[in-house]
Order: sequence, then structure tokens, then C-alpha cells
Amino acid sequence: MSALDGKVVFAGIDVGSLSAQAVLLEERRDTDRSKSSAGGKMSARSIHVTPNPVESARQVMGGLLDEVGLSWDDIDCCVSTGYGREKVQGEGMSNANVSEISCHGLGARALMPGVKTVIDIGGQDAKVIRIDDAGELADFVMNDKCAAGTGRFLEVMSRTLGIGFEELGQLALSARNRIELSSRCSIFAETEALHYLQRGADKREVAAGITRSMADRVAALARRVGVERDVVMTGGVAKNPAVKAELERILGVRLLAPPIDPQLIGAYGAAVLARRESSC
Amino acid sequence: MGIDAGNLLTKVVLMDGDEVLASAVAETTGAVTKDTEALVSRVLEEAGVDRGKVEQCGVTGSGASMIGGTDFQEDEVTCVSVAAGYLLREINMAVDIGGQSITAMLIDEDGDITNFMRNDKCASGSGRFLEVMSGAVGVPVTGIAAAVEGASKRVVISSQCGVFAESEVVSHVNEGEKPEDIVAGLCEAVASIVAAQARRFASGDEYTLTGGVSRIGPVRDLIIQKLGGTYHEFPFDPALAAAIGAALLAGAS
Repeated sequence: MSALDGKVVFAGIDVGSLSAQAVLLEERRDTDRSKSSAGGKMSARSIHVTPNPVESARQVMGGLLDEVGLSWDDIDCCVSTGYGREKVQGEGMSNANVSEISCHGLGARALMPGVKTVIDIGGQDAKVIRIDDAGELADFVMNDKCAAGTGRFLEVMSRTLGIGFEELGQLALSARNRIELSSRCSIFAETEALHYLQRGADKREVAAGITRSMADRVAALARRVGVERDVVMTGGVAKNPAVKAELERILGVRLLAPPIDPQLIGAYGAAVLARRESSC
Repeated sequence: MGIDAGNLLTKVVLMDGDEVLASAVAETTGAVTKDTEALVSRVLEEAGVDRGKVEQCGVTGSGASMIGGTDFQEDEVTCVSVAAGYLLREINMAVDIGGQSITAMLIDEDGDITNFMRNDKCASGSGRFLEVMSGAVGVPVTGIAAAVEGASKRVVISSQCGVFAESEVVSHVNEGEKPEDIVAGLCEAVASIVAAQARRFASGDEYTLTGGVSRIGPVRDLIIQKLGGTYHEFPFDPALAAAIGAALLAGAS
């Protein structure tokens, strides 16, 4: 045991399909945790996943613990989430596992108490989560069957444009006009974009068409569950400024930016859950 | 004469009554007009028919409007249903699996189309889907049937989305699964997607399969196995169905 005089450590691990995150919350043991929804010192780490979710969890949390000078034994309670959450608990790395829907909802709510709608766009899925006035999960919709409207669509299309995934947003924002992509399907849209590029279309305008198409799909999903303010966008795609701007335009609402890296919200929500005394 | 300028393949047929005198199929490229002209010349030459002897020419397919000098234009759903309904009097459904679409058509006793469902919004189960997937395995579409013969099992492909299924296929390749076994799994996946769509027409129990994907033996056999009912083989190359329909309609106009 390290010297943890009077401190408690709560942990959240989120193993997704493309990346894994770990969050640690440290605070004084005598903090009244029923009063504050989140507190103490937060530290976090994110990695690309390995093929094995348990190994990803071990690497991401192990790396974070090393960084802050703690050990696995110092963790008072850990909650795992994401698609590998059950295996992570099975290996004894977490005390409980909770769905990513709940963790994202809770994490967003803990950071921004007015949030009613969470739009979470991950690497391979998209979710829209509604939270009621009491802060409880009210409803959600999810698309994990079709790449359109998920991070994968942007990844495939960036490859078609011959640019990095992270460059797409800025490129789209620099466009004066937009080329309309008529295909929703990623495979057809790829062919369509390629066709435009071969005919000499401006890359920026194609990029703007791609981010618009992405925002259209996400907006359609969000409307199925209803969009109530405040609205926050989380997940890796929230880092794309063009998708965010288009989505704001289509939905007619301002999208709040979470105060922490949006990709960390799931793991943060898991750590907040671990902090609730009932979890461990 | 019938011309079908499809998304992946362009087909030309020359017919005399119900008989196909000659046909030609080639991949669709950007130069639709030029490619079609070459196919038309090939077909005329093969049949030994002078261009002037062609009475009527019908055109269909997504590139139809780019082809000039024809007498008649009709959409591909109508053309396929006409070809299937006219050549196979006993059927009540035709299922067409094309380059970018799957279409199930209900056909009445007079050979007329009464209803249809078409998915052309999503690549799932289409020729393009199969092309992307087999490309990821390194087996060309034309080599699928031969590959399946060498398979010892079918690797399960659970995603229906082409993008997700491609990742699934790539991970199977990386895990060391045999290409033959993955291709066999792909055929199963395509057949399941097509059958699920065709089954939405519960009354279609006497059917035929058309479109380029129906040429691929293992896919066709698995669809037949899943659909139940009675399968009636399309009397010509199933990829030619729309072109044949266009020729028949042109001839009747």
C-alpha cells in the first residue's frame, strides 16, 4: 500500500471497440459523497485497444496508476463499462460493470447538471440518451448496426479523401460550398465521393458533404428519442468541429462541450458510479 | 435488342421472340456510351445480324439515360418482372440481386408486377457488398464458387453493414481463418440477407432469382435452401434478366 493518508480512490474503466479509457477520482476519505456529485482530483488516460479487452483494461488502468504513483490495491471501488465490461469484471479488475448508456448519461450529468440529452458518437456506434429531471436515465436510442452516422463512416470517408481522420473537421470547415452526398450507406457514399474527386471536385467541399451527411444521420437518430436542452455531445466524434457545427444547425440547439475530453465521459461516469457508496 | 446499363455490369442482348440470339456482359466503367457501343457491336457480330435489322432497342438500368439512339426506356424493376413473368409463367415472385440493390417483386398470373420491395439505399447483401468482402479476403467475385468448393466450414459473419462486415472479415483473415471458409461464410451471410427480404412477401412461394449475384452458385443454392417454396430457374443468364425485359418490352411497343 502506498501512503494514502485519509484518501479514497474511485476508478472507472471504459473498454470500447477502438479505444479504452481509465479515470481515477481521488478525494479525502471524510468527504460527504451524498452531497457532491463529483469531486476530488481527477486523472485519466486513453489508449488504442488491443484485440483483448482484458489486456486493454490492464494496460490503460495500469499505465494511469503508474503515472499517478498508485497501485491496483489502492483503488477502493472500480466500475467497468464499454463492450468489454463483463470480461474486465470477470478478471477481478472491477467490482461492478454497468452499461455504457448509463455511464455516459451519469458522467455527463455529473459534469453538467442541466443536461437532458446526451449525443454520444463512438467509433462503431451512435447513442442518444435522454435524462429526466431527477437525473435518471429516461430513454435512449442506439445504432450499432449501420456504419452511417458513426465514427466509422468518418474514418472510411477520410481514407477516401486521403487525409487523417482528425483533419476532416478542419478541412470541412474551410469549405465555401458543400457537395451533397446522396448515399447514406458508407459503401455507396465512398463510391460517390470518389466519383466527385475523380471529376476534380474540391476536397474541402467533399469533406463538407461528408460531415453534413454524418450530422444528418445523427440528427435523425436524436429526433427519434427527442432532443431536450441542455444537449451535450460526447464520444470521439464530438472532437470534429464541422460535425458539431452542422448538428447544431440542423437541430437548432447549442451543443455543450463537456469540460473534460468527451471520449472520457463513459469512464468518468463509471468512476462516479464507483464513488456512490452502493456500488462496492 | 435490350441494353441494361447497371451499376456494376452492362449487359446487351439480341432477341428473336423468346430466344436470346446473342448476349454480352462487361463491367460498367465511366465511359458508358463507348462501352455499350462495343458490346452492341459484339452482340450483332456474334449473331450475324446487321445493325439495320434491329427493329426496336430498349434500354434500362441506372445508366439508361446516358445511352442514346434507343427506342424505349423503362426502369429495371419493370424490366426484370417482365422478363421473369413472361418467360416463367408459373412464378409469383422474382428476387433480383443486383450490383447495388436487392428487389423482391410479386407477379400475378398474367405476368404483371403487382408489388415490389427494393433496397437500394444500403449495400447490405448486394453485389457491391460481396465485391468488397471477397476483396478483403483476396478472392475475386468470379472465384467465389470455386473457393467455396474447397471450404471445410462456414465462418460466421454477423454484421449486415458492409463496413462492419469488412472489418469482421479482415479480423477473420488476421486470425488465420482459411479464405475458402470465410468466403463460404460470406455466401451464407448474403443468402440470409436476401432471404430475409424476400420472405417479407409471404405469398411468394413460386419464385425465380435474377441479377448478377444469382449467377454465383453457392449463394443461389443457400437462398433456395432458406426460402422454401419452389425455385424456378431463369432460362438464361440471370444477370441478363433486365436487358431481356427491356428487349421484350421494346419488341411489344
